[in-house]
This record gives sequence, C-alpha cells and structure tokens, in this order.
Amino acid sequence: MEAARKRGLHVPRGLPFVLPYLPFLVVFGLAPTAYALDLAFTNAGGGWAWFHNFVRTYNDYRFMPAFKHVLLYTSVWLATLVVLVVGLALLLHGRANRVSSTFRFVFYMPGALAGAAAVLVWLFMLDPVVSPGSFFLRHVLGATLFAQAIAPANLPYIFAMIAFWTGAGGWIVVMYGALNTIPHDLEEAARIDGAGPIAIALRLKLPLMRKWIAYMVILSFATGTQLFVEPQLVNQASLGLVPDTWSANQLAYQLAFRYADFNGAAAIAVDLLVIGLVGAVLIVTRTGLFRTDD
Amino acid sequence: MRPATLGLRFAILAAFAVFFAAPVLWLVLAPTKADHALVTSSPFSFGSFHQLALAWKHLNAFSDHIYRRWIGNSLYYALSATAITLAVGVPAGYGLAFGRFRGRKLILSSTLVVMIIPGAALVLPIFLELNAMHLLGRSLSVILPFAFFPFGVYLAYIYYSTALPPGLLDAARVDGCTEAQAFVRVALPLAKPIVALVFFFSFVADWNNFFLPLTVLADSSQYPIQVGLSDLLSSTPSFNPAQGGGGQSVNIFRPELALATLLAIVPVAIVFLLSQRALVRGLVGGAVKE
Amino acid sequence: MKFNRRRLALTLLAATPVTALATTSAEGARTATASGSLTVWVDSVRLPAAKLYAKTHPKVKLHIVTFDGDSNGATTLQAKIQLWNRTGHGWPDVIFSEQVNDPVWMASKPFDYAADLGKGVFPTSIVKQIPGPSIAQCTVTGHLVCIQDNLAQEVLYYNKKLMSQFGYSVPKTWQQWAALGDKVAKDHPGYIIGTLGDSYGHWLYLWANQCPLSSLKGPNTVLINASDPHCTQMANLLDPLLANKSVSDVTVFSPDFAKQYGGSADKVLMMPGPTWYAYAVFRDTLKLPAGEWATSTPLQWGSGPVTTGQVGGGPWIISRHTKNMAAALDFVKWNVTTAKTNTKEPNYAAVSPGYPSYKPAAAAWLKSLNADPFFAAPPGPAMQAAANDIWKGWNLVTYPDQPVWSNSVVTQLVAGKSLSSLLPALGQGLSQAAQAAGYKVVSK
Repeated sequence: MEAARKRGLHVPRGLPFVLPYLPFLVVFGLAPTAYALDLAFTNAGGGWAWFHNFVRTYNDYRFMPAFKHVLLYTSVWLATLVVLVVGLALLLHGRANRVSSTFRFVFYMPGALAGAAAVLVWLFMLDPVVSPGSFFLRHVLGATLFAQAIAPANLPYIFAMIAFWTGAGGWIVVMYGALNTIPHDLEEAARIDGAGPIAIALRLKLPLMRKWIAYMVILSFATGTQLFVEPQLVNQASLGLVPDTWSANQLAYQLAFRYADFNGAAAIAVDLLVIGLVGAVLIVTRTGLFRTDD
Repeated sequence: MRPATLGLRFAILAAFAVFFAAPVLWLVLAPTKADHALVTSSPFSFGSFHQLALAWKHLNAFSDHIYRRWIGNSLYYALSATAITLAVGVPAGYGLAFGRFRGRKLILSSTLVVMIIPGAALVLPIFLELNAMHLLGRSLSVILPFAFFPFGVYLAYIYYSTALPPGLLDAARVDGCTEAQAFVRVALPLAKPIVALVFFFSFVADWNNFFLPLTVLADSSQYPIQVGLSDLLSSTPSFNPAQGGGGQSVNIFRPELALATLLAIVPVAIVFLLSQRALVRGLVGGAVKE
Repeated sequence: MKFNRRRLALTLLAATPVTALATTSAEGARTATASGSLTVWVDSVRLPAAKLYAKTHPKVKLHIVTFDGDSNGATTLQAKIQLWNRTGHGWPDVIFSEQVNDPVWMASKPFDYAADLGKGVFPTSIVKQIPGPSIAQCTVTGHLVCIQDNLAQEVLYYNKKLMSQFGYSVPKTWQQWAALGDKVAKDHPGYIIGTLGDSYGHWLYLWANQCPLSSLKGPNTVLINASDPHCTQMANLLDPLLANKSVSDVTVFSPDFAKQYGGSADKVLMMPGPTWYAYAVFRDTLKLPAGEWATSTPLQWGSGPVTTGQVGGGPWIISRHTKNMAAALDFVKWNVTTAKTNTKEPNYAAVSPGYPSYKPAAAAWLKSLNADPFFAAPPGPAMQAAANDIWKGWNLVTYPDQPVWSNSVVTQLVAGKSLSSLLPALGQGLSQAAQAAGYKVVSK
C-alpha cells in the first residue's frame, strides 16, 4: 500500500481488472434492462402508463396458463436437477477415474445438442412408433401416438426431462469440479474416522458444495422461468398442437412480434424478472453466497 | 467400498447412462437409414454407408451448401466471442473476488440480476443499440452481445473466492508485487481450470444461442447452426408439409436432419473433451484453504 | 470544374430510374427488361423456381434468401418486418409466404409492408386470368396486395382400384361419403376415408361446408359462430366416423399415419384434400402404389351448392419499400406465368409443384398431371372444376386459425373426444385470438 501511495495514484484495488467488463455489462446488460423497464411502464406513444401494461397482460387469456406452465416446469426441473445432479456427481466422485470420466462424458454428450437439436431428437423419442423408448411411452405415459405423448398435461414434465437431459451433464461437470476442490486429506481423515461413503457424501462433501449448488439453483430458476426454445420448437414441429404461447417467455415474444406490443412484452419480462429476483434473493440470503471470506 | 454398494452405484450410473446415451445413439444411427426405414426398422439398427453418403449429399446440396456456412459461422461467432469473454471475464472475476472498491457489490448484484432477465425482453433494446452502432447484419452484432457473459464472470468470481487463498496474494504484495504482477504471478497460473470451465460454458452457450442471432441476422447465410437447424427443420416435409405442394424435391428428410444435428454437435463435443482434462486434474492441487 | 456535356448526359440518363419506365403503363412492365438488384425471400419449395429465374435473367442481380415460409401460424415474418421497419432498411423486395393470411396483416399497420398491386401495377391481363376467389383473397381493404402462386382447392381423392374392388361408387355428397365410411368400418376395417388430424382439418371439413368461423362483416369485425348448423351438422356427420375409425385423427404427415395406412399397407380408400396432395402426399409422403388414384368433384351437402375448402396456396407479396419495382413485378410475374407454363423445362416438377393460379399455366400443368401414369384416371378435371368452388364466406384475417384448431381440437380428438363436443372450445379459441388481434367478434 505504501508503494502505491508513493506513486501518488491510488487506484482502488481490483478495479482495473473489472474495468474492461463494465462496458459490456452496461451496453448489453444494464442499458437494455433499463429500457425494458421503461417500455413496461410506458405506452406505445411513449407516455407514462403506470401499471396499465401489467394489468392488461395479466388479463390476457394466455397469461395465467403460461405462468402456471412455467412455474410447474421450473419446480419439476429444479427438483430433478438438484437431486439428480448432486447425486450423480457424488456417485461419480469415487476412485475409478477412467470409469468416472467415461460416465461423465456420456452424461455430458446430450448437452452438446442445443435446443433445436435436442428437440429434434426428442420428437422421435416421444413418438411411440419410432422411438426406442416406446415401452415407456406406452406403459408409463399411456401414449400410442405422438400427439398423445405431448398431451397438454404431460408437457411440463416432458420439457423438464428434455432440459434435464441437455443440461444435467454440464452441471455434473461443475459439481464434479467443485468436489475436486475438497482436499483429499479431509476425506482421508473422515474415512479413517470410520465414516462410510454415504456419511462422507452427506456430511463432508455436500456442505462444501453449497455455494455451487446455490449458484446452480439460482441460474436454473432463472433459465427455467425463461423457457423458450423447447416449447417454441415443439410448437413448430407439432404443427401447432403445442401452442406458441405455452411459456411466459413465448407469450412475451408473441406480444412483441405478432402484435407489436413491446410494452406488454416488457411487462411480462418484468414479471419474470421479479419472480427470478425473489427466488435469487431468497437463495442468496439463505446460503450467504456473497460473503467473501476475509 | 463394499461390493454391494459398488454394484448399486454402478447400476444407477449405468441406468442414467442409458437414458442420456440412447437418444444420441439413435441419432448416430439414423442417417444411415432411408427415411421410411426410420419408421419401419428397429431404432438401433445400422442402415448402410451408402444411405449415409446419400444423406450427406442431400444435406450438403441444400440451399447452395449453406450447411457448411452455418457451421463455419457458429465456429467464428463462438470462438471470437469466447476469446473476448475470457480476456474480459476472468480478470473481472478475479477483481470482484479480491477487489476493495466502491461498487464491487453493486457490480456483482447487477451481474446476477442481468442473468435472470428473460432474453426476449433484452433483444429489442440490444437490437436498437446495435442499430445505432451500425452493426446490424454484421458478425459483430452477434459476437459482441455473446461476449457479454455474466455467468462466466460469476464462475470466475466464485472460483477465485473459493480456491485462491487471500494469503497468497498478500504474500505476493509483501514481496513488492504490483496488483498486475500479483495477478500474473499468483492468479493466472491457477487459472487453467477456470479458463477451461468458462471457455466450455461460453463456447457452448454461444454455440447454442438461438434467439439473438435469429433476430439480428437478416440473411440466412449468416445464421449460426442452431438457427440454421430450425430452418432446416421447417424445410423437412414431414415436419412442415409445405402447403402448396412440393418440398420433396428439396430432399431434406429425417435422415438428413438427423445428420445435420449430429454434425452440429461435433465441435462442441471436441470442446468438452479439451476442457475435461483440465477440470479432472482438479482445482488447486496444492494451495489448501487453512 | 470542367463542364462535360457528354458526362452530364450520361449521368442524367443513368439517373433515370428504371421504375419510371415501368410505372407508365401496365404493359410497360412487361416490355422493360428487368435489371438491377433484387432480394427475394422464398421457402425451400420455391427455391428451384427462384434459381431458374436467376439463371434465365442474368441482368437481374438476384439475391435469394431461403426461410421457413412462415407456415402454420409462425411469427417469423412479423418479427423480421417489425425489425426492418424500426431500422428503416433491410426489407426484401419480394416475399413468398406459405401462410395464406400473411398479406392481410402485411397490408395493415404497424407492418405496412405490402405494395398495392392493383390498378394495373401488376399487369391486369394476368390478373384477369386468375380465378376470382384467389384475387378476392389477395384483396385487403379494397387493395390487391398479393398474387397467389398456386391454388389449393380441395377435391375428393379416391383410390379407384380399391373402390371398384369393394364395389363402391364414388360419393357426390357428404352423406354418401359418410355412409361409405360406415360400410368400410363394418366390411373393411382398417381402411380410412379421410383424416381430421391435420393442422388444417377445419379447412377441409368445416370451410368446405360453409361453417362460419372466419367471416368478415366489416374491416374489423369477424363473425365466429361454431354452433351454426353448417358446423354442427358436419360435426355430427364426422363423429360416428371418428368413433368407428374410418376417419383418422392423425395427421397425414406423421410417421404413424404412413406406417399404418401408407406404402404397401395401402389403406387409404378416399381422402378429401387439396390439389397439391396429388404428388406431395399420395406419391411422395405416403408412397402409395401407382395406378390407383383419381379425383372427384368436392362433396356437397345433400342437394346444396358445391362449396369446398382451401388448404394453402401461398401468396407472393411485393414490398412497398422496394427500390426496384420493375424487377420485383417481373419476378412475380415470371413465377406465376412463364415458370409454370414451360413444361419442357427439365426441372419443371420442382419449379411448378402446385396447381398454378394463372389459367394458361394451369392448363399446361394439368396436361402433364393428367398424363402422369401415377394416376388411374386424369385428376385434372375435378381440380379445374373446384377452382371456383372455394367458399367465399371464409375470409382471411390477421391472425392464423390453424394453431387454435390444433391445440384446442386435435389434441382432444386424439384423447378420444368427439368433434361436436369440441366445437364450442374451437369457437371460443378463435374468438379469443380474434379479440387479441383487435377484432370485434359477432356471432350473427
């Protein structure tokens, strides 16, 4: 510190590293957000509209169904994600590294298929006539036709499954990486103390993954409520059997681009933002994510 | 570990492996069969190399070899954007983890908030900004927004705050290092895993991004492969029965679509393989938390 | 600066826009050679024609963009046009859309994309040779804003071989058709006489029977009445057929349909369908054996008038903002006329995949269709007759009705419900879509 003072210029520590990031944050993050907020509270002519856009979109006949779908989907997805990703990562974090990395690769493979690609594959997986999983389709879902497989009641679970199929692998990699930061000595010590693998997993490994799990939940909550690509493409491929306003984000898109109602679209976006923020705040405060250890 | 537990663990992992792998295996085998054979023969049967070559021929011929351009575009956008993301985001994560400046928490919260905002809402404002900068329809209109990757900054922040003990930095400062030197001497050598991780997530996110390129790129020959795939999907007669007749002469059927999808994964799978090794070596082998 | 008379003259000459020549007269557009650059958006089906145009018109720098055709109620074009409007540039000169109602919103605010082709801008000699209903569909608030590329009137397709094998005569009325369905279910189960599972099932059965689900009563008022007798009688006719499985609830394009009824199974006895089914469905998708198919005039309700539905028939729309109107007009004109008339063109099948809207081209197309050995009897005459039978009471509006049919009816049909029980939901869904699009909905 004295060296810095002697030079006469006191640059706040760490700031220069962050500076190049700031233009991006502002131009592609904050400014558009502010503009979206502005759109949500103004009308098409630019005048102040109070909460009119929010009320109007709330009363749209597609609003409640879209939000119900999205919240149900997000709950199902988060539950499967947390339980299965953490569980699989723990199961993988054993000693057989080559086996482990093979499994990790297999789990990750579907993640390489992005929205469009994953939907395409699942269009066939969900068609009892073509699918290798037709047994499950017929006996678990009771579907003998593609149109039955994507019946409205099944959709949240199907989209959750597709999202899990594509997304789990990546998170498993992250969790596995997080598990690798746990010092071996700690594990050895616990094992010497007589703790079995399950006890080690639950009492040693799990708490140390806390930050990463919280991060996964926040992001997954956000991306879950933002669901767009899967229902959009299933809508395209099913020739409309799944509506193009199934998810809230899709409804926002339709308002913006079909009806040129950007104000309404922004209102829905703000609704989603509030939901995401509330969830994030809850998780952050309960896990102390922002605490930097001094 | 007792054999029973080992067996159970393996069984569970294997069951999930089947769930994850079976559709991909189907995808790999699908281009080797003719379109009607996909419906009639077993899902995991191998067709013929001849069919595969035929499928590639049709796919390649579609719309003036546009498929190759789409892949090329994706590579260009994803690599360029990821390079910027790494150069900007990793130091930013470091700075946020160890910095002591006013606004640090604000930048962190802003980053988190921005990640939660639905993409659809930001597309129009971003579009207008790009328009004002006269970037619309150029590659930069895709690369620059892609390069903004708050998730990467967050990962770097979490990584540095959990894996890099402040003690090491203090030691470097006591040795007389400037902040820049401390970063280079202490943080950078430890950065390999986080660089691999951020590269991985950034590249994949850029490769998979659908919505932004769809709206800012007018010309379909500029599309990245994702948007191209949906274009291809809507050109497949079985999914988009072209009203007005025809479409069959376009020669894009399910095997071609499956092949297109398959080939589109190859670059990302390669990226994963490259990133995996760095990750598996573990984060912070030596420097242990007190 | 030196005053160069020659240079001035050349500059003045070069500055005279080609469009000035074109707009002086309708015939002028035909004789002026199209040149300059032109951007067209086509779906992959029209691509061969666009490429042929580029090849045969080297003076025009044609830039072709293939897109998804905006079909099945997609929002592709709305999104693009809005964005172009906001930036003030980027509009393609010509768009082909698979969504027949696209010109309606394209001609309205805030999109305001479509150019007025009436009053001779598009040669009236050609317009006169396109059937009335087609021109009517392209007329929005009194302005001609598009030209239909092909006609998609519905006819009755039947398997001549199977019909004579079973000893059935070709039905002329819906009632006779339904009676055959009952017979087929009893005597030859597994064979079908139609399907309701397509995303346009309502066009095939409800539009054909004059069910008022999309009747414009004013520029912003639409009549939607799903309990009108025309709708309910058709639903009552279809319900037993759905129940006894002689009418399927699966779309003709699904793998399931192909497996069950197509190929060597050859279980399609009859099917009401548009003109483009002839090749696209029976030959190419279902791969049914050759030498079996024929067409008959659309079914009528008892002794009522012959009215039929329409499935598609995409329009060409020219941009209001185009800087090269002459080339744009020439491009559309060529696609509608020359491209479809020249049967000697080696690529003809790809260049002209549907029933041309322009009568002389239709004659040429029909000639080659009638000579095709795939059919048991020339399918052309019924198609020609049906061209003028499309029921005029179903009007195009700014919102698509296919999605409503798909997700409020087809999903439930598949679950086993009857069409009659779903009509109210259909009516309500359409009303909601109409209101969301700014229409006033009436039921009389």
